[in-house]
Amino acid sequence: MLNHYLVLAVKVLLRRKFFTFISLFGIGFTLLVLTVVTAMFDHTFGPDATEPRQDRTLYVDRAVMYGPRSTWSSNAGFKLLDQYARNLPGVERLSIYEGNRTVHSYINGKKIASSLKRTDDEFWKILEFTFLEGGPYGTQEVAEARFVAVINATTRRRFFDGRPSVGQTLEADGQRFRVIGVVEDVSELRTPPYAEIWVPYTTSKTDAYKKEIMGDWSAMALAKDKAAMASIHEEFNSRLLRVELPDPKHYEAIVAPFETKLESFARFVPTSDRKDPESQVWKLVGLLAGLGLLFVLIPTVNLVNINISRIMERASEIGVRKAFGAPARTLVGQFLVENILLTIVGGVAGFVGSILALRVISQSGIATYARFTLNPRVFAYGMAMAVLFGLISGVYPAWRMSRLNPVDALKGGASR
Amino acid sequence: MTRHLLRLIWNRKRQNFLLTLEIFFSFLTLFGVVLFAVHYANNARQPLGYDIDRLWNISVDRKEPDEDPAVKARHRETYRQLLSTLRELPQIEVVAAAYTGPYANSNWGSRTRLVGGRNVDYGVNNVTDDYLDLLHIPLVAGRWFSREDDAATWKPVVINRRLAQEIFGDANPVGQIIKEERDPKDPPPDPNDTPEVKRVVGVIEEFRQNGELSTAGNYLFYRMRLDGPDPKASLPDRIFVRLRPGTTAAFEEILVKHAMAVAGDWSFEVQPLDLMRRDMLRGYMLPLAIVGTIAVFLLLMVALGLTGVVWQSVTQRIREFGLRRAKGATVSNVRTQVLVEMVIMTSIALVVGVLLVAQLPLLPLPSDLQIVPGPVFLTSLAISVAAIYLLTLACGWYPSRLATRIQPAEALHYE
Repeated sequence: MLNHYLVLAVKVLLRRKFFTFISLFGIGFTLLVLTVVTAMFDHTFGPDATEPRQDRTLYVDRAVMYGPRSTWSSNAGFKLLDQYARNLPGVERLSIYEGNRTVHSYINGKKIASSLKRTDDEFWKILEFTFLEGGPYGTQEVAEARFVAVINATTRRRFFDGRPSVGQTLEADGQRFRVIGVVEDVSELRTPPYAEIWVPYTTSKTDAYKKEIMGDWSAMALAKDKAAMASIHEEFNSRLLRVELPDPKHYEAIVAPFETKLESFARFVPTSDRKDPESQVWKLVGLLAGLGLLFVLIPTVNLVNINISRIMERASEIGVRKAFGAPARTLVGQFLVENILLTIVGGVAGFVGSILALRVISQSGIATYARFTLNPRVFAYGMAMAVLFGLISGVYPAWRMSRLNPVDALKGGASR
Repeated sequence: MTRHLLRLIWNRKRQNFLLTLEIFFSFLTLFGVVLFAVHYANNARQPLGYDIDRLWNISVDRKEPDEDPAVKARHRETYRQLLSTLRELPQIEVVAAAYTGPYANSNWGSRTRLVGGRNVDYGVNNVTDDYLDLLHIPLVAGRWFSREDDAATWKPVVINRRLAQEIFGDANPVGQIIKEERDPKDPPPDPNDTPEVKRVVGVIEEFRQNGELSTAGNYLFYRMRLDGPDPKASLPDRIFVRLRPGTTAAFEEILVKHAMAVAGDWSFEVQPLDLMRRDMLRGYMLPLAIVGTIAVFLLLMVALGLTGVVWQSVTQRIREFGLRRAKGATVSNVRTQVLVEMVIMTSIALVVGVLLVAQLPLLPLPSDLQIVPGPVFLTSLAISVAAIYLLTLACGWYPSRLATRIQPAEALHYE
């Protein structure tokens, strides 16, 4: 039966090419935009080559210190993480690293701006960088504050014309580092690993950061297994209750929870409550779903309109089928199959279009080193969205069709 | 005639309702984008209040928090040395230090409660005496900060014309004290702190820190001193220099070397202001470009959809049109009928849409969200309404021709 419906659907779609084109254009464009957004989201938050164990990694990024009238919101400080985040039960590895700084170097009167990140040695064990030459710095280099650096391929090209550069030195922000490793470029949107130059945090110009509760630092914890994640979150929150706050007159509590990357991002959404240590991710999901629905509103109404027109045109066919005893359910089913087929074809068209769109976006340099690609995960999301879209836009017209009066329909369509 | 057409539309109410709904949503989308664009266009016409020719911004990272008075005193001394070192460089014309500056992406806002309970909000900056000369800010009344203010027992401030108007109305603001009161909801002030008294020494035309596309707002300058007696006075975050004509980008390296020689522990980031301006304008334009592109495609989709639906309904009503023509209606009568039906549905959608968006300026939004001035709102409304009428008429045009292509005799027994 399904086979029969599909053959019929293809015939119908080919008969009225203009309508089919309009429908496909609308569906294709809508799914193109949704796929592009999903791909960018997946690029930023999904697991990738550098962060393959994303499903059991937790981060502390944002910290909020507050009192009855004052709120201080920034990243966590080094002291907070160093003193309270170490030795949490269930943590396999912990890395503490500073937020990126833009540093400048001058070569033959030309300025090179690079993004520099100061990290510890565990950073290289939690993340999986692809080394083109050399290797990372270890515990000893960090403890002795050696001026060594890992650079990315682009930095190697800028400073050393792309020649092998381990053992060479480069100057950045007035400090001279010896290159010990070169890694492949990492997208700017992967915030924890991203930088162009990585150096031991102990090479910082002053020691002032060691006293900071609030600052510009992050922590990344690799949990032993997924089950340990909740207890890491709980344990760190309860340790934070005992933190000695720098200005007790104004501040009485600090919130800086260990969270997944998405949860940590959700804290930036304006509707989230940053003083609540529990996950704010549902507010982010709600916001995204709301925006998504708003966006598909026009395409849906448009498609519903076109679908109704298509049905009215086929009123006599429907009249014949009804007169011969086809129940409303069958007709609705048939129409939904037709519509879902159409949306899937449109979805595939949109998917092909989104490959081109993503290539253009990647090349526009909107995010450094970001190469947005489509993977099976995004394709699955895209197809799910196509089917959902097909159902939403098909249900009302199908219901209208099933209620056509057979007598009117046989005469060529009821107009009301 | 219109009543008759209304009845015809009513008879096909279900389908027409969906069409109207589609036009309604299209209007809302278009209005949002047009409002955005007209608002920017309007902002771009307003005076900016400064000039960034040959200016460089040096962002200073002091690496060490300065709550500790000893650290602060040390930093203050370093700043003094830095500024005098830079002043001596032959390539530099003017040097000034400030908390923030044009296109800096770092804004400081404040609120004052005037006597009588009225609140005014304004952007704030803390600048040294050379700042006016640096940015060629036009003064409209009074004077800029100078050594005259060294002995002042009040805090000298320079405000822009809009803020002066808001606080003092039409009275001359120069020399006046801004009369403030404490918000009863605030905790009682520390008895050791002497309350700050602001006296206006001058009025400037305008200062739109975030550039050409930003919304003009109130602005207030405090005087920043690096040699003042107050140990708690805040320090600058940025140094600005104006270069002599003909200085090349290669000077940047020399500049940073000189700065590093004075403060090796600090980091300096030098950016020409025209590049910062470009980045900031791009930051404003990018969301508009994305939303605009999506809106164009949505409207194209709507246009195609409407054409298809009107086409289909015209084909379905061939007999009706045939009958009208047999009873003596001319070709243009029938075409007009199709188009007028379209106009009526569009009008219904637009009336609802306009009534809805007209609520926006009436909403009791906080003042920082009420960014759109009346004329901008009305212009955008007019543009969007006109564009939607054009769009729907264009969609009805081809089907309306189709309606009259078939001869009445044929149409009457058309199946």
